[in-house]
Formats: sequence, structure tokens, C-alpha cells
Amino acid sequence: MSVIAATLLDGGLQGARGGTIVEALSYALEAAQPAVKEGFTVREERWGGDLAAGQPLPIPHQLFKGNDYWFWMGTDSKGATISVHVYDKNGKLVEDEFWQKGQKAAAKIRPKRTGTYYLLVEVEKSTEERTVWSLAYGFR
Amino acid sequence: MLMSSKIMKQRFLCARSGAASATRQYAAAKLALKVCLSCVSLSTSLLANQPAKSIALKEFPKATNLVEQVVVPVPSEVFSALDKLGKQGWAEVVRPQKGVASPSGGKEQISLLLGIVIADGFVAVEAENAEEVKAIGNSVRTLAKTIGVEKAVSRRANSIVEFAEKRRWVEVRKELDLALSDVRQAMQELNSESLAQLVSLGGWIRGTEALSSVVAKSFSKDGAELLYQPVLVEHFNLRLQALPDAAKSLPVIVKILAGLSDIQPLMGKGDGEIPVKAVAEIGRICGELVTSVSAKGN
Repeated sequence: MSVIAATLLDGGLQGARGGTIVEALSYALEAAQPAVKEGFTVREERWGGDLAAGQPLPIPHQLFKGNDYWFWMGTDSKGATISVHVYDKNGKLVEDEFWQKGQKAAAKIRPKRTGTYYLLVEVEKSTEERTVWSLAYGFR
Repeated sequence: MLMSSKIMKQRFLCARSGAASATRQYAAAKLALKVCLSCVSLSTSLLANQPAKSIALKEFPKATNLVEQVVVPVPSEVFSALDKLGKQGWAEVVRPQKGVASPSGGKEQISLLLGIVIADGFVAVEAENAEEVKAIGNSVRTLAKTIGVEKAVSRRANSIVEFAEKRRWVEVRKELDLALSDVRQAMQELNSESLAQLVSLGGWIRGTEALSSVVAKSFSKDGAELLYQPVLVEHFNLRLQALPDAAKSLPVIVKILAGLSDIQPLMGKGDGEIPVKAVAEIGRICGELVTSVSAKGN
């Protein structure tokens, strides 16, 4: 498992097949477009890495009560199924909405409390040994 | 599909006064509705697997390591949450720029100062103070030049000034976030990941100072709760502890480490109870750290 949370460098982390986080990010940002039209601000810092199928990864993240958040995940691996879900600090599912479609997935939350939450990213199915993914978020 | 089912039901209601044909239409509509609902259910299950209602976080030991990889929110993110509680006194917490910020100290201190100045920009945007934002744009350019990342930031600094002149605040916020990420990226390219972290830390300290001051002046329980940020304090602590010994022993870094350890208990336990005294104290500590970073050669 490897993960980076940063502004992505050109090329980014490269998977065994040659996919990159930057390519995965393009799918995540594509998924963000409808929310952007609704006034969500997309942050310029993102997460990315590679994962084996069936090995979910919880990423800690600070959320503020009062804001709405969307998290968008993407992969450049065709045929892969990915997901992102939001859990609170006790491990309880707290998202208000989620979807999965092709190489994209997303989850939305309006947190009831300010504090630490966990974004559970997962490659559910993939033909790759390790699948490159990227996660972006926006708030309103 | 749900919409078409509703239309079918409405059509059925219109035909109610009819006799046998209406009954047949009803049966057909009911069947169609059932089919539609089955399709909706089937397509949902095909498109998305239902997530677990709960997970045992302890079973993910690597999650602890990921605290180092936390994405630090920009000040506008927390300010936006506070603004939803009502009009806030942002103008009172603007830190007036005395000309262009003059770099002082080593690259660690300048990186922290750059983060503070960018956060000042977010505060000035909240206050819609175009003159301050323009001065901040110029300071960002000067500080970035001192630590060798001017090229990456110059375009952003120009845009900040241009958008501020036109009072286009949404774009100024976007450019400030981009300036922050461009500086961090340029530093990472120069293998200065630790300096990139210091830019984020400087921004967080100034953002927290401004937030505390505004909340303390017009106290509300919900406003105070925005200061509950344990994962960020832990993240910055870990990052500072990982600095090379020479950097870790700098007076300004020693002060920040002590400040973080004082702030942590004041943030409470996430029960939504941060008293006004604790809010003011967090603001005081962050204010002292801002002064320390801005002072000559720390």
C-alpha cells in the first residue's frame, strides 16, 4: 500500500501497468463537474496511491459542521470497480449519499459534528494486481 | 423511472370515473409501476454495492500512519462553515500588511511566514478588503522568491492582485488555494517536503488565530466547535518531530511544538463543548506563534 496526500507531481505515482495518479485524478475531477456547477469548491490538494483489490484503506480527514462535502474517486483502470465511503471516528457509516459508475465513485456528507472522519477508499474489483486511484474533495 | 411511474399514477387517477377500461388501465399501470420499481432496485444494486454500516477502525493499523498524509484544509473551508452561522466580524481580524513582507530567518521561518501571509489573504478576502489582498499578493511573490519558488507562484500572485482589484472574491480564494498548492509542489520538486509542510502549518496557525478571534468576539457553541481539530494538531506534531535535528532545535520550531501541545487539550474531546475561555486561549497561543514567526531571525 502506498498513498500520498499532496499536490500531484507531474506523472505522479506509477502503477505496475503504467497507470498514474494524474490519469486517475482526471476521472475523479470529471466526477466532480456536476457538483462544481452547484457551487462546490474543489480543493487543489488530493490523495492518491495504489491498492490491491479487496483491501480498503481508511484515510483520516478533518470535516467542519456547517459545510457540505463531496469526495470523488477515480481510477484509470478500465473494468475496475472502486468505492469511497465516509465513516465517523467510531467507524459508523455517516455519508448522506454515494454512487459508483465505471471508473468513478463518490460520496457526499453534511457532517453533524466537527472533527475527524475516515474516508474508506477501496478497489472492489480489478484485473490489475494493484490499481492506481486518486481522491479529490470539494466543499460548499 | 420514478417520475414516469408518478405520471402513470396521475393518468390512472384521471380515468377513475370510467368503468371496466379504467380497472384494466389501473391493473396495467400497477404492473408497470411494479416493473419500474424492480428496475430501479435492480439498477441500483448493479451500480453500487451497499457499504458496511460500520467498520472496526482498529483493524486498519495503517490508518494511524496516514495521519502524516492528512490534507490540511484551507482557511476558507472553515471560514465558510462559520459564515453559515451568521455575519462575522472578519474586518476586525485582518492583520494589516506593513508594506511587502520582509523575509527574515532561515528557510524554515520564511516557509512558515509564507503560509501565514497566504492565510492573511483568505482573511482579507472574508473582509472583502481589496487593498490588503493586493499587498498580500506582492508579499507572497517576495517570500516565494527568497526560498526559490517564485517561478511557480508569480502567475498566482499576479492573479490574486488582478482579481482583488476587480473584487472577484471567489476567484481570489481559488488563486490563494492554487498559490498554496503551487508553492508546496515546487518545494516537493526541490526535495523540500518538510518546508512544504511548514507552509501548511503557517497557514493553519494564522487561520486558527483568526477563527478563534472571530468566535470569541461573537461566541456560539457551534462556532467554537469548529476549533475541534485533533487530527490536524497530531499531523503537525508528527511532521515537526520528523524534521532534521537542526531545524527542530530552531527557537521558532520549539515554540510551535510547545504551542501545539498547549492547544491540544483546549480543543476538548469532540463533545461540542469548547468554552469561550478556551477559544480565547487558543487564539492567544496562535497569535503569539504568528508574532514569533513574523519576528526577525527566529
